[in-house]
Amino acid sequence: MVQLTGIWGSRAVHMLNNHWLVARLAAVAAVGALAGCGGASVAVPTSFPVPLVQRLPVSMGVHLSDEVRTFVHQEKLKNAGDWSINLGGAQEPMFNNLASGMFATSRFVRDPQDPGGDVDGVLVPSIAEVQFSTPTQTRSDYFEVWIRYHFELLGNDGQVIADWDLTAYGKANQRNYGGLQGNQPALQAAALAACRDAMAFFTIQFRGVPALRDWLAAMGAQA
Amino acid sequence: MITRLPLLLGFSVVMASLGGCVTATVQEVRESSTGMETGDSIVVLGRRGRPQTGETELDFVSCISENLNKGDAKMQVVSEQDFMDAMFPWFEPRTAPAKSGDLPELMALPALADRFEELGLRYLVWVQGSTKRTDSAGTLTCSVAPTGGGCFGFLTWEQDSSYEASIWDVRTGRVAGKVSSDAAGTSYMPALIVPVPIIARVRSSACDSMTDRLKTFIWDTG
Repeated sequence: MVQLTGIWGSRAVHMLNNHWLVARLAAVAAVGALAGCGGASVAVPTSFPVPLVQRLPVSMGVHLSDEVRTFVHQEKLKNAGDWSINLGGAQEPMFNNLASGMFATSRFVRDPQDPGGDVDGVLVPSIAEVQFSTPTQTRSDYFEVWIRYHFELLGNDGQVIADWDLTAYGKANQRNYGGLQGNQPALQAAALAACRDAMAFFTIQFRGVPALRDWLAAMGAQA
Repeated sequence: MITRLPLLLGFSVVMASLGGCVTATVQEVRESSTGMETGDSIVVLGRRGRPQTGETELDFVSCISENLNKGDAKMQVVSEQDFMDAMFPWFEPRTAPAKSGDLPELMALPALADRFEELGLRYLVWVQGSTKRTDSAGTLTCSVAPTGGGCFGFLTWEQDSSYEASIWDVRTGRVAGKVSSDAAGTSYMPALIVPVPIIARVRSSACDSMTDRLKTFIWDTG
């Protein structure tokens, strides 16, 4: 708590032109802002692990639309500032590692309707919805992020084989990060955790989606 | 006052270095014999719950890992993040085994068993618990003015740490035992112009006592 008290108040007014005082007050204000009052803008880091699973013997194409590659969730919260989570920059490394760990071969394709003869199917993810909550909203220590992906698997003729939703969740304790760093590190960690959860969920769910099981069986892969 | 400032600051530093009192207790329950061989390693993992459940602080987990890796009876420690990346996605919050009985099923996956072997992983230590502020009292006011500033008042707060480590033996797929560490302490901050924090290092004390007991438990020298 910092205040200009009564005894010193009149002198303080005269000295407001003093650069030293202005600098000190500015520093106090900056620390206050950083300490978590007003929003944050974060980008999800681009380093992801490769799933440790038995690779499915299929050649998978992955199509990331421009919308996915540039996806930024922006939200203005009442009395809590502007918030922005850039997920788009992380999608290519995320799906690159995911596909390279899960499938015998994989590559990105530009046109999902005409992927080329070397791929058995094309995975087309889209980000359907993003939500987040702040510690103030939930009266907890946690930032939480939910991402709902929608996936389509197309055959190499462009026909839809299966489509399904996947909801991923990540949270991060703001107390794990110093107060002077503001909201950014914890929100970023929660968003990264949600992306990792999406990868984990996709990895264990993929073999269980009924239409995909049939497709994998037709490809000669044991689901 | 300016000439006295270094004196006050020096006094504050000396008082702060004294620290508040902390009482710590540590207990263990052994279920099977333990030991480490050359090339064996260990990983310390914090339990990560799903929505809205508490979880162990990251710096407590890293404190245990770092302390196990230094001093007497030190052991090879794989960092939590390296382990989770190497084992991805099998130890993520959604997929992590909830009980030691789930380990044999995981180890049946050839890729996972090979990765455990590569890391030389002998024990998984799951840490649960947290440090909480249980009580606080007092007031402290700071003022800033062109001629200077100062703080006046007195603050006190109590913290309580309670952690439990469950040691899983990867080779047997069973729980080798549990170590629990509890610590409590009261911190004070009197302020007469300069605040003098006398901090009880409760979490640090819980970490130190848990690490010492984990070392004797795992090397089976207790």
